[in-house]
Amino acid sequence: MDWFELIVIPTIRSLVLIVVLLTGFAYLTWYERKLLARFHVRYGPNRAGPFGLLQPVADAVKAVFKEEVIPNHVDKAVYVLAPALALIPALIIWAVIPIGKGFPAVADVPIGFLWILAVAGIESYGVILAGWSSNNNYSLLGALRSSAQMISYELPLGLFLISILLLAGDFSLVNLVEAPRAWWEWIWLWIMFPLFFICILAETNRSPFDLPETENELVAGFQTEYGGIKFALFFMAEYINMITTSAIMATLFFGGYRLPFGIGGEIMPWLGPFILAGKVVVLLFLFIWVRASLGRPRYDQLMRFSWKTLLPISLGYMIVTALLVVFFK
Amino acid sequence: MLDVAPRVRQYEILPSLQPPGIPAVAPLPTGESEDTRRIAERFGDAVLAAGLHHGQQVVYIKPEQLVALAEFAKTDPHLRYETLIDVSAVDRSELPVSDHRFHTVYQLRSYSRKQHLMIVCPLDDGDEPTAPSLTGVYSGATWPEREVWDLMGIRFAGHPDPRRILMPENWPNHPLQKQVPLGGEEVPFTLTWEDPEFESLGKQILEAKSAPPKLPPGMSLEHMVINLGPHHPSTHGVLRLVVELDGETVVNVDADLGYLHSGFEKTGENKRYKDFVYYTDRMDYLTAMSNNLGYCLAVEKLLGVEIPPRAQALRVIMAELQRIASHLFWLSTHVLDVSGTGMSLLMYATRERERILDLFEMVCGARLTVGYMRIGGVSRDIPPAFLPHLEEFLKIMPEQIDDYERMLTHGPLWSERLIGIGKITREEALDMGLTGPMLRGSGVDWDLRRDAPYSGYENYDFKVPVANEGDCYARYLVRMEEMRQSLRIIRQAVDNLPDGPYRAEDRKITPPPRAELDISMEALIHHFKLMTEGFHVPPGMAYQGIESSKGELGFFIYSDGTARPYRLHVRGPSFNNLYAISKMSKGHMLSDVITNIGSIDIVLGEVDR
Repeated sequence: MDWFELIVIPTIRSLVLIVVLLTGFAYLTWYERKLLARFHVRYGPNRAGPFGLLQPVADAVKAVFKEEVIPNHVDKAVYVLAPALALIPALIIWAVIPIGKGFPAVADVPIGFLWILAVAGIESYGVILAGWSSNNNYSLLGALRSSAQMISYELPLGLFLISILLLAGDFSLVNLVEAPRAWWEWIWLWIMFPLFFICILAETNRSPFDLPETENELVAGFQTEYGGIKFALFFMAEYINMITTSAIMATLFFGGYRLPFGIGGEIMPWLGPFILAGKVVVLLFLFIWVRASLGRPRYDQLMRFSWKTLLPISLGYMIVTALLVVFFK
Repeated sequence: MLDVAPRVRQYEILPSLQPPGIPAVAPLPTGESEDTRRIAERFGDAVLAAGLHHGQQVVYIKPEQLVALAEFAKTDPHLRYETLIDVSAVDRSELPVSDHRFHTVYQLRSYSRKQHLMIVCPLDDGDEPTAPSLTGVYSGATWPEREVWDLMGIRFAGHPDPRRILMPENWPNHPLQKQVPLGGEEVPFTLTWEDPEFESLGKQILEAKSAPPKLPPGMSLEHMVINLGPHHPSTHGVLRLVVELDGETVVNVDADLGYLHSGFEKTGENKRYKDFVYYTDRMDYLTAMSNNLGYCLAVEKLLGVEIPPRAQALRVIMAELQRIASHLFWLSTHVLDVSGTGMSLLMYATRERERILDLFEMVCGARLTVGYMRIGGVSRDIPPAFLPHLEEFLKIMPEQIDDYERMLTHGPLWSERLIGIGKITREEALDMGLTGPMLRGSGVDWDLRRDAPYSGYENYDFKVPVANEGDCYARYLVRMEEMRQSLRIIRQAVDNLPDGPYRAEDRKITPPPRAELDISMEALIHHFKLMTEGFHVPPGMAYQGIESSKGELGFFIYSDGTARPYRLHVRGPSFNNLYAISKMSKGHMLSDVITNIGSIDIVLGEVDR
């Protein structure tokens, strides 16, 4: 029984999760294109299947059957590995996110928070190595921007996470969702949500912080030399990251799989995964909304914002949270 | 390598059609003005002729005194010609003259005194002439002089950067010289596997061996040198910028032009006057109406033809609609450059531009390359449905502009990206010969529509927006306000649209109406003559500048009395404004180079012509 519970069940869960995430990624591209088109007063994809629903399938087929081009001037091993390195962290971060009552995605590890921070830390390697191995000036600039940006935004992100940790008092994400919270805790959390969201935008390289791949100055940034399925892997990593971070935000700020009055928790626990999915979709809408309406800051402005605005705010927030916890909890 | 012997031109005019007795020599000025008298007094014998020609102040000066004259014109308190608008040249080898084969022609403007001065400098030394360079007086002469060297083969003594600019470095001739044929040249690069150059290029791709790059003067490989373009998402076409970077800070920028050079000037010299109108559409394809207007006005200046008021008002409406369309497209691409493809304003501005294109389609059937205007008027009257649609456009447009401003002017990210970027002071703008919003964004209160009115602009009441900061944000504000003022002009033009003919009744210039052909022999003759031969333009030279959406669009025409322009030169505002890119970008970040390109508002079809 032991080996069954330790190996087979997690394997099946992981496989199901990966299939769901890849499908989710495919339809997230469709969702983004449709939404952006609506913001842009266009129609978006509407030729492949009803409402263009088969568009992701067509895209996938196209990407898979494209010729594998590996330029001669690249560092081949790293060049091929980099897309995988970008994608894997985006997937494995899901292991600790609770998707239903008593039902963590793969395992309820007691150090869920640390897992998220650790995996988020290695996410940038894929991008940096891709830019470095491409041996191309645009890619290199994109990679340098990416490393600097991710390091700068991980600091306030980490400090915000510590604040949440202080409130929760537990490293486990499952306990975080299940534990009851006082009303002032919710409000105090939500005050911080916009800033946290900004950090997440930078962390996932999403517009307006998509400076590593600014198409209008660096052509495609770190992925300039990539094509076909290897490019699709980077694409996948970015979009799965969006889904992942949305799920994390839903878990940390909006009660994960639970709705008020215990729906999804004690009442109708089978609804949990769907409630989480619904929250993720709403948060993804935010990502796309921001992309359609905000311009892009310059690289130095982005860094200045992180170090001179976000970092002091997050530090102050952490201190105040600690005081609140000490005196009211 | 290449056969440059003269060939028979395809559209050679038969000798019998050449009007007899017209002296095809330099158009000499008559009379005098205050400025020309002052110059003639100051320079004495060096001035070969000075006076008025078609209402333009013209001075013929000996090359020895050219630089002194320019300095005098710039610094003399009574003249104050602050800026050099254009440099061009005429190859007179096909005229019945024996001396001074090349003339260089300079257009100077005084913004404070609202004056225009044309300086003509006949060059000695026959086929390989050298002219003194004016770059020491006006730095804006740098690119135009390079262009004259490239296309006309005139060297400029003392030029700081005497490279070719539009044609490849190894091009064997100077295309605008009259002995160079139109078309049929052998292209001096080949695409065969045997060609050693191609072989090395192929190896470079297949074997990852990169040759040391050929750097523009003044750059070194100590820093990272990257190539923006010619195939780059944000260079607005096929512009190539070589950018030297220290980290992400720009050390040096060098522009490489000519990827879209299509020889409009040479083509124009081989077309009849009336047939070149359609070619002007293709230069700056975003302001086709303004290009038509500028060219027609230049020819009409030489013809001395009177344009009926309705045609003038229609031209104003179209030119202003075109200005709005061009500014809208500038706005959408500028937003794209600064903010990325997701930004929705890109599509909002394009949506409104679409309405203008629909209006153009109603009047002439085309949307982009309109070819609507004719020498002597416009090609046809507006259809009855045009005015209601235009009214609707006038009604919704002001709200839309407010909407854009709400998204940009009051948004923190937009001003953060634009304020303080690409700064040009008033003096620099004048020195570099910038025009249009680039000039007004730097605090020079000048608009040709108001200060040198043409096509009846003096009858309209509008303001010229000026901003003093000289950065990208100032230029953005100027252009946004210009759209509002253009709406005002269109409003007035529509309200006071006169009745009457839509083109001049001069049958020597405009064809008679179709109905007249059936009943009038004379009309038939006129029609036949116009369609087979075109009309003859009296000899002379004229420079006509108009305020296009990007700046001063100038046409210089040198006529020898035949049905084709002897020399046709286009002063493209994009070309002269792009010269500022190097100065604007140095010391800023790489992203700001892209912002600056967008802020200059270039169309490569016009830069390269």
